[in-house]
Amino acid sequence: MAPFWLLKKLPGYMPPEGRWRHLAEPYDGDEVVVLDCETSCFDKKKGELLSVAAVRVKGGEIRLSEALDLTINSNAVTDPNAVRVHYLRREDRRQGVAVSEAIEKVLDFVGNRPICGFYIEYDRAILNRYIKQLHNFQLPNRFIEVSELYVRQKRKYIPELQLDLTFEGLAKDLKVPIIERHTAMGDVISTALMYIKLTHFNQRS
Amino acid sequence: MTIQINLNQPPFSFLSEQQLEWLTKRLDLVFFAAGAVILDEGDVSPGVYIVYKGVVEETDKSGQQVFSQYGKEDIFDVRAVLESSCKHRYTAIEETLCYLLRAKDFIQLLDESSDFSIYFKTDLGTQEELVDQRSNDVSEFILARIDEDSVRPPVYVTGQTSLARVAAIMEEQKYDAVLVRTARQVGIVTGTDLLRATLLGDKTKQSKVADIAQFDLVEVKYGDFLFSALLKMTQHHIERVIVTRDGDIVGMLELMDMLSVFSTHSHVIAMRIEQAKTMKELVVAARRLEVLIDSLSTQGVKVVAIMELITTLNRRLMERAFELIFPKRLQKSVCILVLGSEGRGEQILKTDQDNAIILQNEHDREAVQPLLQNLHQALLDFGYPPCPGGVMFINDSWINTVDGWVGKVQRWMRSGRPEPMMNMAIFMDAEPVCGNRELFVPVKASWQTEALRSSMTSAWFAKPALQFETPLTFLGKIREDHGTIDIKKGGIFPLVHGVRALAFEYAISDCNTLQRLDKLQALNVLDDETTQGLKDALLFFLRIRLRQQLESGSDNPGLTQQLQLNSLRSVDRSLLRHALHRVKKFKQLLVNHYHLENF
Repeated sequence: MAPFWLLKKLPGYMPPEGRWRHLAEPYDGDEVVVLDCETSCFDKKKGELLSVAAVRVKGGEIRLSEALDLTINSNAVTDPNAVRVHYLRREDRRQGVAVSEAIEKVLDFVGNRPICGFYIEYDRAILNRYIKQLHNFQLPNRFIEVSELYVRQKRKYIPELQLDLTFEGLAKDLKVPIIERHTAMGDVISTALMYIKLTHFNQRS
Repeated sequence: MTIQINLNQPPFSFLSEQQLEWLTKRLDLVFFAAGAVILDEGDVSPGVYIVYKGVVEETDKSGQQVFSQYGKEDIFDVRAVLESSCKHRYTAIEETLCYLLRAKDFIQLLDESSDFSIYFKTDLGTQEELVDQRSNDVSEFILARIDEDSVRPPVYVTGQTSLARVAAIMEEQKYDAVLVRTARQVGIVTGTDLLRATLLGDKTKQSKVADIAQFDLVEVKYGDFLFSALLKMTQHHIERVIVTRDGDIVGMLELMDMLSVFSTHSHVIAMRIEQAKTMKELVVAARRLEVLIDSLSTQGVKVVAIMELITTLNRRLMERAFELIFPKRLQKSVCILVLGSEGRGEQILKTDQDNAIILQNEHDREAVQPLLQNLHQALLDFGYPPCPGGVMFINDSWINTVDGWVGKVQRWMRSGRPEPMMNMAIFMDAEPVCGNRELFVPVKASWQTEALRSSMTSAWFAKPALQFETPLTFLGKIREDHGTIDIKKGGIFPLVHGVRALAFEYAISDCNTLQRLDKLQALNVLDDETTQGLKDALLFFLRIRLRQQLESGSDNPGLTQQLQLNSLRSVDRSLLRHALHRVKKFKQLLVNHYHLENF
């Protein structure tokens, strides 16, 4: 990923304005936001946002009590295969919030903290697509890819190591419980645990 | 929200649905690396931790002394939240995930729910009681109190009333018994008494009732459990008791009135034992005891009440068998003792027959031996497994005359070796149950001497209490391997034996551990907190052991001492930890008291 200062200079960079101007300010706290989106189909361009969950992580602590867990009232026709993945049928989404409201809540929740996730590039693309449409900017936050942290740590000593880079593979190797896989919130908790383990625990022991 | 712990058990089950929902939204999740110190001595706890995965160990500051371990769904450290700071160190032994309920939220729940707060703020005994009340389908009958509905108001006559007049009053009032008041005391007279006095005795219609009334009244207190009245009737072989309130007689409680209320048939079994004329009938009655225990236990009757009832019934059973087997002449010249747990009155399910016999005359030995074989066979038929250690009156070494026993006790006591000391320990809990109880008096007196108490013997005697490790340190790990603990070695034996040693030293003649503890407390040997703690711990051990033994469904459920940790509810695991902690502390007390570190 290109560094932030370089990103700003790239053509097509759209900084946030007005209400979300503070998102572009450098972050000097010690929290990260772990985030996960579920979409109607697995396609950066077409996938419609169905649910989004996020928690703030500070040290070893996951602030579940202040977590964000939103279901979007979307009419998107879901790919039957995707439903099997996240179990969000159209009926389940009736009670949800409008997508514009969800995006605003996500932006407020995240602030200028770094955003962390598993295959976060996808979530970033989905969110940016909506944000661009609604507010005409793109997330300036720093993004942290959990699988990248994992690979870097594993290959530190043995560069040729073959790694299972699926979500389940990481969870198994890091001995992190998988909690309700494919619900946004469950995936977020597991990802947060992986992040804590990769950044705060001493792996060599 | 996805909360991965079972909130459907105490203490959370004391909360209302709204409170539970609120609670699940207040939990954070914290991840600790193996070896991380979660809380240290002097720390202010951010809240209570509920373990989701992993194991946490509670130690002192140096990490040397382990107090406890916490596994899935265990809660710590409540005390640190309620008081100002943490007293011990909590370390994650493996990677550990805990839910964290912030202190202010926890305290809010305590304020809102009285049951929830009672659970945390009280001692082991009350906690257990609370859990018991909730988790069992408590039978209303058995926990019913003696109140106006069950008590008949008393009908009095004066001592001068004629028998004919008394009979007329009974007929009028439809009472089967009336109270007799004389200048000095109050007695009772029943319809049967009247019949016996006039038809079988030499009394006439005009005789005074004071002559035939019985003045040794058996009383229960207004407000007691109906159950305890039943117990008294069984013990005294009577059919009615007097109910008193603040010392005044307020009425009578009739067996017939109660039988219509009780569904457990405990009295039916008692009556069968009383009325049995053949050994076969006794066996039928004996075999029903286990069903009774099971139903009492599931109905939520306190383990101490079950223990008392079963002990009473067991002893009656043995006595009846003895009466059927021994001819009248020999009944007077022997005394049969029950030893060990049966002697202490702490056996619920039959574990083994520990017994011995005292002969008045050595020359009876040959006549008695075949009878003892018969009695032994009867006990086997009743369901008592034989004693693996051979502590039974069919073996020569457990048959002796008074002098023989006195000599034996002396030899055991002086030996200073573990095996004779254990024999002595079993024998010290002896309770005479059949035959001539007088024979036991000099035997018992032989070890209750000042010289023995003050000698090294006390310490030698106490020592076996330390022979088994308290399984505290291993708790978490054993559970991980679907483990079990030996509850007898780990908890019951050290407690019982330690108390027995102290009872010996302080010349306490009671056998029951709870009664011994009461006496030790009265003598200021143990402080109030220790006494209560040990009582709670013992009853808790007995309760969970009984529950698992009954659930095991084996032919001889009383033989298992292994406690399956993974089938315990998490609240019981936490109580078990507290109880074992108490035992450990008690062992330390014994070491200091008897200077056992030098042995």
